[in-house]
Amino acid sequence: MSVTPEEVRQIARLAELSVDEEHLADLAAQMSRIVDYVAQLGEAVGGAAADLSRPVIPGPDAVKLRPDVVARQPLEGGIADFAPAFRDGFFLVPKLGAFDTGEETA
Amino acid sequence: MSEIEALAAAKATATRLSKVKRLNALLTPATAVRKALLAQAKAAHPSGVLYGMPVAVKDNICTLEFPTTCASKILEGFQSPYEATVITKLKAAGALIAGKTNLDEFAMGSSTEHSAFGRVLHPLDRTRVPGGSSGGSAALVAAGAVPAALGSETGGSVRQPAAFCGVVGIKPTYGRVSRSGLVAFGSSLDQVSVLGRSVHDAARVLSVISGRDARDNTCEDRDPLRLPTVPERLEGFVIGIPKEYFPVDLHPGVRRACDRAIRALKELGAAVRDVSLPHTGFAIPTYYVIAPAEASSNLARFDGVRYGNRADGVTTLAELYRRTRGAGFGPEVRRRILVGTYVLSSGYYDAYYRKAQQMRALLAQDFRNVFDRGVDLIFTPTTPTTAFKAGERTKDPVAMYLADCFTAPANLTGLPAMSLPIGRVKGLPVGGQLIGQPFLEDDMIEAAYALERAIPAAEEA
Repeated sequence: MSVTPEEVRQIARLAELSVDEEHLADLAAQMSRIVDYVAQLGEAVGGAAADLSRPVIPGPDAVKLRPDVVARQPLEGGIADFAPAFRDGFFLVPKLGAFDTGEETA
Repeated sequence: MSEIEALAAAKATATRLSKVKRLNALLTPATAVRKALLAQAKAAHPSGVLYGMPVAVKDNICTLEFPTTCASKILEGFQSPYEATVITKLKAAGALIAGKTNLDEFAMGSSTEHSAFGRVLHPLDRTRVPGGSSGGSAALVAAGAVPAALGSETGGSVRQPAAFCGVVGIKPTYGRVSRSGLVAFGSSLDQVSVLGRSVHDAARVLSVISGRDARDNTCEDRDPLRLPTVPERLEGFVIGIPKEYFPVDLHPGVRRACDRAIRALKELGAAVRDVSLPHTGFAIPTYYVIAPAEASSNLARFDGVRYGNRADGVTTLAELYRRTRGAGFGPEVRRRILVGTYVLSSGYYDAYYRKAQQMRALLAQDFRNVFDRGVDLIFTPTTPTTAFKAGERTKDPVAMYLADCFTAPANLTGLPAMSLPIGRVKGLPVGGQLIGQPFLEDDMIEAAYALERAIPAAEEA
């Protein structure tokens, strides 16, 4: 297998994803199947010369930036309307490590 | 159409949608759809070009009328604070948003079996899949519940279900339609796309949603697409037939239907020419490096803090992130995030991601070479088989991925492409694909109009 259960555990940590220990072997097998399949690109690209100077997708050659001006957010309601708690221009969020208490701070 | 007729259309649509409930294609409850349709019919302005036309919307496109869940537990009940530009444009044209359709979670899949809210049934054979990821939209159009629906494409998610269900699916050129309000999966590939029961229905919806948008910097500064007239003949068109899309193991029924369509193109006066797109076979491995890589980055925002239903009973921030994401995402999304993180990690970036970007450039070069030699359009089968059985490919992710082998090249290269019904095999629809040149959707639609009229798509090929 090209991807080991230990590697899956490490990748899951990087991806901030909890993975059950009992699923690690299955996931490693599935990821190995995918990684082995896409590995054919290595040899295929080796001998070919791609014209990388031209954009691949036909959209804008360079992304145009919006004018840097303050504008109203295009929201349906006020920003406070969709926050669980909001005071004096700040979102009120739970204190870290205190998610169960319902205690909130600005 | 008068306001009374628009109201009648709204009521009839609500009734039709409730009759096809068993397909599990619509995520919005029937009562909520009826209420919203009637309110929209009363509010819509009769001068709009789509006045009174019901359009169902894939549930990864943000709407104010209905929640946007991406068919994921992590977004269950999520109410977007803004709506997608395509929705604003549809409403301004008088269209009625007819609820949100089921999809593979976060548009990751080719069968609509990977939805957290259950699989969608194929409208003609309930043991089969409707394709995906826009399977809910395709099934509703095929069942006659709505004349058109919005979907989204990253690797073929509109053309492939359109082919499986026997409807028309159009993916425009990357940058033709705004992505603002489309929940991002693979940002260099994603494009809002359209399904319709006919070329005209799909094309007129595409025309309305296309055009510039200040909220999306990758949307081209162009006027909306102008619809071509329906041609009598296709004289002057040069149509390329790439041999790589007709492998020896192509489903014989699909080959028969394509042969019949190619004969029809010739009879319409088009010049048909054999061409080669030599890197076609590498499109799927390329896609399955680039798309998961972009997905792993785009889906980082679903962490229980910025977006996503938060996991209970956690004590540290790291645990909050991991448990929220681990519990909220389904198996296919988790797998793609892991693969994306793997191919972007420092030890493997050059081996996978850089090679995939180089292959993407080679695929684009293939198409440029063909178009530079005077070919206007390319014709291929949309899929290598007809709709497959539910559960047939869920065990092997690579087998599932290969369902998109003929559609992914147009996404990787940004080209416009569409699928239209070209016949049936044992009762199941077959789709034919036209691939056009950048921003020349009008040529592609013109040829599709003629082909649609020339082929008895409901008959066995």
